[in-house]
Amino acid sequence: MAELPELNPVIHGKLRLALLSLLAGVDEAEFTWLRAKTGSTDGNLGAQLLKLEEAGYVSVEKKFVQRKPQTLYRMTEAGRAALTQYVRALKELLGGAM
Amino acid sequence: MTRSGEEQELKERLILIESMIAEGRRSHERWGWVYVLWGVANCTAILWTALGHFPYAWPIAMITASVLTAVLAVRKTASRPSTTLGRAVSSIWITLGVSMMLLFPALGISGRIDEYIQISVASAMLGMAYAASAILLRWKAQFACALIWWGSSVFACFGKSTPVAVVYLSAIFFCMIVFGVYGMISDWRARKLEAVNG
Repeated sequence: MAELPELNPVIHGKLRLALLSLLAGVDEAEFTWLRAKTGSTDGNLGAQLLKLEEAGYVSVEKKFVQRKPQTLYRMTEAGRAALTQYVRALKELLGGAM
Repeated sequence: MTRSGEEQELKERLILIESMIAEGRRSHERWGWVYVLWGVANCTAILWTALGHFPYAWPIAMITASVLTAVLAVRKTASRPSTTLGRAVSSIWITLGVSMMLLFPALGISGRIDEYIQISVASAMLGMAYAASAILLRWKAQFACALIWWGSSVFACFGKSTPVAVVYLSAIFFCMIVFGVYGMISDWRARKLEAVNG
């Protein structure tokens, strides 16, 4: 019997999954935009983004635009590969149910 | 958790991924006002030239529209992430704008142009930009506008002065002003629906 794939625990968290999926559709995104799209609090969002950054799935750039601080997040190649792998594993797990 | 409960949760994960990716890509739809702005600028320039015989009508209308577009675009896109699709679509319009801004004044100054060539070339260029954008966005209404522009381009090669001008003005009215208002209404409806669905 074929072994069922395991789901990546870093991505499996709902908010982290939503964040990676959002970043998959854009070149880069501001912290405020991610907060608006996910409806999350600053603290929780920051913590989840940090976990994704530590896993190497997102990269962060901090800069000033018109004297205002701006934090930009980008999905890395490793993040894209991990999300692709996660979707593949999900579909495999759901195989019979889909 | 039961097996069906687990399956349901995994399905919800898939739906979440799809909806979030779609959300990220939805940043190119809010541009209806640009079509209206340029439609009004073109109509103003044409009528100002025809009725007022004012030689600087075109430069004033085009420069005003360009400055307004640039200022409003920067303000509207400041908080929105850029996407590959958004960049592809905007590249079409930016390069079209630069090409027209260089070509028509140069032809006007050199005198190597008449009203038929001007309308035919302008319509063909607009038709190309509308069609390319429509194919990228899979937007049928925009492709219909491209067909109108191409029709106007071909008609300008064979028609007489007044009918050619009427067809061109009609194309500006429908493909810029009416299409722009339609785009704004579609966007307003989509945002309203989004707000209702949370």
